[in-house]
Amino acid sequence: MSPAVGLFAFLAVSLATAVIGFYGLRVSRTTSDFYVASRTVPPWWNASAIGGEYLSAASFLGVAGLILLSGTDALWFPVGYTAGYLMLLLFVAAPLRRSGAYTIPDFTEARLDSALVRRVTSLVVVAVGWLYIVPQLHGAALTIRITTGLPSWVGSTAVVAVVCLTVVAGGMRSITFVQAFQYWLKLTALAVPVVFILLVLAGNGTPPQAPLPVNPTGQAAAGAYQNISLLVALLFGTLGLPHVLVRFYTNPDGQSARRTTLIVLGLLSVFYLFPTLSGALGRMFAPELAQSGQADALILLLPGKLIGGVAGDLLSALVVAGAFAAFLSTTSGLVVSLSGVISQDLFGGSVRGFRLAAVMAAVVPLGFAFMTDTLALAGSVGLVFAFTASTICPVLLLGIWWRGLTDFGAIAGMVTGALLCGGAMVAGTLTGAGNASAWLAQPAAWSVPAAFAVTVVVSIATRNRVPASVNRVMSRLHVPERPVATER
Amino acid sequence: MTRVRVTAPRQSAAPASGRVVHSHEATEDSDAGRIFVRSLIRSQLRLALVVACGFLVILAVLAAILVYGPGVAETRVMGIRLDWLALGVGIYPVIGLSAWLYNRAAARNEARYRDLVEDK
Repeated sequence: MSPAVGLFAFLAVSLATAVIGFYGLRVSRTTSDFYVASRTVPPWWNASAIGGEYLSAASFLGVAGLILLSGTDALWFPVGYTAGYLMLLLFVAAPLRRSGAYTIPDFTEARLDSALVRRVTSLVVVAVGWLYIVPQLHGAALTIRITTGLPSWVGSTAVVAVVCLTVVAGGMRSITFVQAFQYWLKLTALAVPVVFILLVLAGNGTPPQAPLPVNPTGQAAAGAYQNISLLVALLFGTLGLPHVLVRFYTNPDGQSARRTTLIVLGLLSVFYLFPTLSGALGRMFAPELAQSGQADALILLLPGKLIGGVAGDLLSALVVAGAFAAFLSTTSGLVVSLSGVISQDLFGGSVRGFRLAAVMAAVVPLGFAFMTDTLALAGSVGLVFAFTASTICPVLLLGIWWRGLTDFGAIAGMVTGALLCGGAMVAGTLTGAGNASAWLAQPAAWSVPAAFAVTVVVSIATRNRVPASVNRVMSRLHVPERPVATER
Repeated sequence: MTRVRVTAPRQSAAPASGRVVHSHEATEDSDAGRIFVRSLIRSQLRLALVVACGFLVILAVLAAILVYGPGVAETRVMGIRLDWLALGVGIYPVIGLSAWLYNRAAARNEARYRDLVEDK
């Protein structure tokens, strides 16, 4: 692939993002425009935006790479990413929309009537967001290095620059346009090359047959513990992701929040067919990428490898554009929600403060990305899900469904989850990838129940701290909005 | 044009677009209202747990069959191994169906609550 292809694709996506972003500037006028697009986004549009934001480097590059590496074990990743949205629909979507809060710290503060809880939640949310941005930047670095031969830092820096510009210019309003556009770009960028490759293979008389049982790395299959722990992380991690939650506030009411989630599930299901197919194709025709440690670049290299020529170059350009759409959309979604949190806590919630916070939210993880090296993308994102599931998920679930939750219980649970899961992540990194034992590599199966248990036990022990407002808040969360004539 | 300083309303967002109104003010003052709300929450939680458990059982059974069923994973349907087919494609409609059923039932719970409150 010629370097110009990658560079051109990146510039085109950045330009499209910026143009839509600046167009959005003209329509966002008030602070609530900046935060949640004034809650006037219709379900289909909103669902595309959620899909666009959620499908990150891990989904776009990582899933196919992991399937190339470990076959059917890796199929649990897309299943978990999608089923996580089912859990979000069942337990969180409508009540959270009805809470009327803008961010997760807003929610915990309102529910538990405690500014301390708010501060702890803010810290956790910022940690989750930063942890999640880092793999996106690694993905960008990898893509730029593989496709253009430029040094890695160019990719991550470029993504941060584009995101800062867009967010500072337009806030959430334009972000919603951008994200919706990027879902469809990502889907096209994965689907077209895969379909093309399948057609070409069929035309060559190589029928798209079953993946050969090759195991390119010779690694043993993951045990049941690892698959279960991964599923726990993905199922319960999704509903705590800050950039996913902030999207639900853009629905007009609880019922439409549910409808939106249902559409999102459909969009995700369709999307994940293609990384799965690419991974299978990679196992059949490009197993050497796994041996050379370039599994995450499979999606980028497959069209050039299997088709070549001008068609291959064009398809490669499309894939690179899709990959950058993935990095840009997830990063900007995270940056928007993080700056919402940072600016409300630090800068009193003004538009200027929001812009300042946006730059903070994007630049810090850039530093992390420079200092760390890329692991398997899907794997490192899996750990972020484990962290979210151990910290935000218990507070959110118990806060929505259990009257007995207290501020001390919430704080104890978040701190426990953060220490256990964070500790396992650090210990796992220190022992080196591949050497860590299964329970350190996949901590969710024990750290999530532990966080839940501590939250419940401490809440019961501090029963007298249940806020007086609990009945009012609970009915606000669960009572349906009264439809005014127009509905149905 | 004058510059206007805008600040965020802290977690006190008004219902969107004025199209919908929260109906809890009417209910939470009375004992009966509180009981209605409690039973609504309980039925929504029960529903969510039933759907979640149902889905997880299906997932667990599928995984167990693929791992322990002799020769099941290697079976080929239209030339594609069954484990790839089940995990790569087959599970997604199950997720979508669970979500759709849940949405209908949750909306029904809410409609029942509304009827109760309005009859009062």
